[in-house]
Amino acid sequence: MKPARFRYFAPHTIAEATQLLDEQGEEARLLAGGQSLLPLLNLRLARPSALIDLNEIQSLAFIHPQNGGLVLGALTRDATLERDPLVAARQPLLAEAAHYVGHPAIRHRSTLGGSLAHADPAAELPAVMLALEATFTLQSSNGNRTIAAAAFFTGPFQTALQHGEVLTEIHLPGLPPRSGSAFLEFARREGDYALAGVAAVISLAEDGTIAQARLALCSVDPTPLRAAAAETVLRGRHPDNVAWQAAAEAVVSDLKEPPSDIHGSADYRRHLAGVLTRRALALAAQRAERSHS
Amino acid sequence: MMDDDFIPVRLSVNGVPHRLFVEPRRTLLDMLREDLELTGTNAGCEHGSCGACTVLLDGQSVRACLLLAVQANGHEVMTVEGLARHGRMHPLQEAFWEKQALQCGFCTPGMLMTAYELLQQNPDPGEEEIRSALSGNLCRCTGYQHIVEAIRLAAQRLREEAEAATPSETTA
Amino acid sequence: MTTTVSERAWIGKDLKRREDPALLMGTVTYINDFKVAGMLHAAVLRSPYAHARIRAIDTSAARALPGVQAVLTGKEAAEVIGPVPAFCAEPVVEQAIAVEKVRYAGEAVVAVAAESRAIAEDALDLIEIDWEPLPAVTDALSAMQPGAPLVHENLGTNVVYDHVFTFGDVDGDFAQADHVIRRRLRWPRATAAPLEPNGAVCAYDPARGTMEIWSNTNMLNSASWVMSSMLKIPPHKLNFYPMYTGGSFGSKHFLAKVIGIAGALSKVTGRPVKFMEDRLDNLMANDSQGPERIYDAELAVTNDGKFLSLRLQTIDDYGAYFIFAITGNTNMMAQITGPYTIRSVATGIKAVLTNKNQQTVFRGAGSDVGNWVLERLVDAAAEQLGIDRVEIRRRNFIQPDQFPYKIPTGNVYDSGNYPGVLDLALAHFDLDAWRQEQARARQEGRYLGIGLATAQQRSTYSSTEFWFHNPAPATGLNSTPESVRISVGPTGGVTVTMFSPFWGNSPETVVAQVVAEELDIDPRDVNVTYDSTAHALPSAGPGGSRMTVMLAGAVHGAAARLKEKIFKIAAHMLEASVSDLELVGGQVRVKGVPSSSVSLADIGMRAYWFKLDLPPELESGLEGTFTYDHPYTTKPHDDRKDLGVFYPIMGHAAHLVAVEVDIETGAVLFKKYVAVHDVGTVLNPRSLQGQIRGGIAQGIGLALLEEVRYGADGQNLTSTFVDYLLPSASDVPSIEVYHQETPSPFTAYGVKGGGEGGRMVAPPAVTSAIEDALRPFGISIAEMPITPEKIVRWVKEAQSRHSRQTH
Repeated sequence: MKPARFRYFAPHTIAEATQLLDEQGEEARLLAGGQSLLPLLNLRLARPSALIDLNEIQSLAFIHPQNGGLVLGALTRDATLERDPLVAARQPLLAEAAHYVGHPAIRHRSTLGGSLAHADPAAELPAVMLALEATFTLQSSNGNRTIAAAAFFTGPFQTALQHGEVLTEIHLPGLPPRSGSAFLEFARREGDYALAGVAAVISLAEDGTIAQARLALCSVDPTPLRAAAAETVLRGRHPDNVAWQAAAEAVVSDLKEPPSDIHGSADYRRHLAGVLTRRALALAAQRAERSHS
Repeated sequence: MMDDDFIPVRLSVNGVPHRLFVEPRRTLLDMLREDLELTGTNAGCEHGSCGACTVLLDGQSVRACLLLAVQANGHEVMTVEGLARHGRMHPLQEAFWEKQALQCGFCTPGMLMTAYELLQQNPDPGEEEIRSALSGNLCRCTGYQHIVEAIRLAAQRLREEAEAATPSETTA
Repeated sequence: MTTTVSERAWIGKDLKRREDPALLMGTVTYINDFKVAGMLHAAVLRSPYAHARIRAIDTSAARALPGVQAVLTGKEAAEVIGPVPAFCAEPVVEQAIAVEKVRYAGEAVVAVAAESRAIAEDALDLIEIDWEPLPAVTDALSAMQPGAPLVHENLGTNVVYDHVFTFGDVDGDFAQADHVIRRRLRWPRATAAPLEPNGAVCAYDPARGTMEIWSNTNMLNSASWVMSSMLKIPPHKLNFYPMYTGGSFGSKHFLAKVIGIAGALSKVTGRPVKFMEDRLDNLMANDSQGPERIYDAELAVTNDGKFLSLRLQTIDDYGAYFIFAITGNTNMMAQITGPYTIRSVATGIKAVLTNKNQQTVFRGAGSDVGNWVLERLVDAAAEQLGIDRVEIRRRNFIQPDQFPYKIPTGNVYDSGNYPGVLDLALAHFDLDAWRQEQARARQEGRYLGIGLATAQQRSTYSSTEFWFHNPAPATGLNSTPESVRISVGPTGGVTVTMFSPFWGNSPETVVAQVVAEELDIDPRDVNVTYDSTAHALPSAGPGGSRMTVMLAGAVHGAAARLKEKIFKIAAHMLEASVSDLELVGGQVRVKGVPSSSVSLADIGMRAYWFKLDLPPELESGLEGTFTYDHPYTTKPHDDRKDLGVFYPIMGHAAHLVAVEVDIETGAVLFKKYVAVHDVGTVLNPRSLQGQIRGGIAQGIGLALLEEVRYGADGQNLTSTFVDYLLPSASDVPSIEVYHQETPSPFTAYGVKGGGEGGRMVAPPAVTSAIEDALRPFGISIAEMPITPEKIVRWVKEAQSRHSRQTH
């Protein structure tokens, strides 16, 4: 189980990286944390002609406050997301979800940008990006463009990234006051890919009703999924079990055909999506209420 | 293509500096085992699932099979061979021995490195915290309980050692 | 046998394992760490098809790749090596590298030897094969249908073995029964999956016609004659070196394919070749998948809950080959009636070949399945008759005064106290408190379950189990021996030499402990070594929970011979009679006169260098060797109505488990786990507890997580550790382990083997607990693994049944 041969480059700047992407052509791949790519290389399921390693680009690893929200460099490690005080204060959902990614030794390497660009439909962080209404900066030798998370994930392991582009920054707008969030997933074992996962954000109005709910799921669709119908169901309602049940039903009835494999059938994933939606919303609402008191 | 085939790597392993040339496709695991002949780190799955090849990179646990050797350039690696000092086992190793926290020993180096990191971060972990920290290191022999007990024992001893080494400020 | 428990200095003590420091410091040499000068590395191209004919193979590009030294197709390999040695009587032939057709996805098709493993894999990429895909058959029921694709055309059928064994008056007993409990039960295909895959380095010397073999096979000494026919080298010109083994659990018995591939490549290159399986190799082709069985099981029971008779019909999916024949089924005949006084048994076995990697043995070796099937029936009987699960077991236990006890198959249980084990387990579990907790939880809409299993753990096999399923005549009575050599050097140092390797247990600690006991010295002063097969005494190696019993017996015997000479020399030196001497603290002294003594060093020096001072009948040197044969085995009867005694050293265990089931997600959470095991005299409690806890973890894995899965097209869907789910530290609870010690009357010190018991008893206990948790839904569990998805589905089905009934 040894990788096939490839050329290797370790640029120090984003400009060098994009130039290498241009030079090395379509068969070249970017290497971020490598925790999904290296197994594929070892198994020879991926055979890039060249690897362009982003790990030496110091300017890609940062977390800054921005307009009440955050901007993060794509090379920010999941272990950092878990522990960073600014993330905990402003986007605790991201920290909570990052904890579900693999195991500590994986999270020391795996990166936010790598997870988004890999776009595994079972991965946690893409769903979190939908729930947090993130926008991404994509850089190429032709310049920058920004794209909403909602437009970024186009299929299983497919994104709007074009060859020559590097995902460099993740922008997360701040949450309204009286907001709470929760990430829950169910996997066969701790650290395994989820059979279903739910990212929930609840923002309460002055009168205690739900001003806004944001809900996104992983592992139940070919892409991370924003549950718009359920969000609509929740708006203006009292945060109670009846509301959570209604939202769960909306999520389940909205699902098309969840993936099916030996660890979980489509039916079971659909069922889990409902259960986890209910539980995640209740937890998020509890946290929203607590944030106010 | 000879120029592209091998890339120079400088790194420190267990405090010993090394300089060697490796193919880009060589994993850190294979470099440690084959080039540096540090065979204490074992290859259990080579796809990042079993944790047997866990080593520390600049003090943080990583899977050696999921890192390229060239990526260790300029970094410090610590392997199981670096735990004992002058032939004396580390308190973690002593505790593993006392509690019989191993049978075939194949997962043990990875377990030790994971436990070593855990105790650096949390000198007094509870059972649930230990189990969670170990959940990415598979053991087929022990059922884990003796490993959990050994880590608790080592933690207690290391705390006592640290307390003994710190002069008390409250005594007159 | 000469000492009593209270007199023992070392046996029964928690000794730290002497194997551990090297393992902990990473200085042990596993096979993958081993190198010899000039060594090449092998890699294997595996079949992408479950069933296909090989029309042509083009290896020219692979051969042309720089660094490649040899490329062998199956046809080419067959010129230098023979078929994989098989124990089956049926003409099922397996090659280390497939010839003409492949019979499972992952079967070896071409092997390459190159300067590095990476280059060898590069070469595999360049090989082109013209395939003719054939329809695959992936489950036993389909494979039995007329017209099903044939895995081996020469057999004319996929049902490779079909026979009903009947012991006692089964029909008569069923006619007398008030109730017949019937269940169709399915046991899933699992695999041992030790963390270390299989590997071998073979070095052929064309000048001498010899081959040296370093590998992690467990059965070195059988391997040398068994593999001779495959390697086409006489056994005495093969030398197998023992290596530290990173776990086996039954999966590293011979490793014929791995050794065959490395051996063939070494023969054609004239250089040493290493073939080290990677995880894909191991999970797809390790030839050690476990049973996959469908049981139609019936238990004949009286109104008062007495079990009369057991009738089983088994369909067992053996996969594509049959090297160990139906060992997995014969094994369980050693304890098929469990701890109960069931007086007759019928067991039908249909062994079916399919397009999967083959079944051989995995910890429990089929007796694990038997325990689960029987305990499922016992729980079902309790439910159907309205008798408490504890009580119905008590009513049927063999009683302590009934031993030695012969079961209907002819096997004998040496000793036991089953009510005692159960009482101990109940005392530690606090069943009443958990039942109250369960009732309280149900009111809150939570589902707690309590599980119980009382089951056997046979140990110390006799090899008759490998052939008695064939019709008479008998092959001969197998001795299944194990040997050691104990030598005292000229300065008094004691060395024990073993001929079986370290396989993850504690053989070095065991022999040091027993030698220390016999010579009254400190076990830390004993040196332990291994020797290669060229120098070996008879040895069968690890398997069937035999090593502790057999090594203890061998050391006991060798120490007796050694002491005889020690006393003769000491008697001469002290001018005393042998009968007046005693061995205390490494000194031989005259009883009652401690000042009149000689040390082992004095005796050793005399024995090695001053022999001419000794009586003429003594030779120079000071050592004792002993080959311990199976302590109690008898031949099967020719009519096979009685299989003879083949697994008499019988352990027993009771497990009590509390779980909570989240019926919404299907998650199972352990709340308490108590295991009481009786494996006779306990040699090293901490080591035994490690074996038990590790075994229970594997049993939990089987019950909840593990299954080898094949797609309908025969693709192996669990060829990585992402998909074959081993239990992690978060999946296994802390387990309270207690011992009862009922010594065996047949073994040294009364020890029994305990290596498999945890895995053999946990599956029925865990199943019982989950079924109990789901009792409000009336769910009867008939299969494993009990995945969260299945739990959710069963609960939903039960709820919809209920709502249909109430409308």
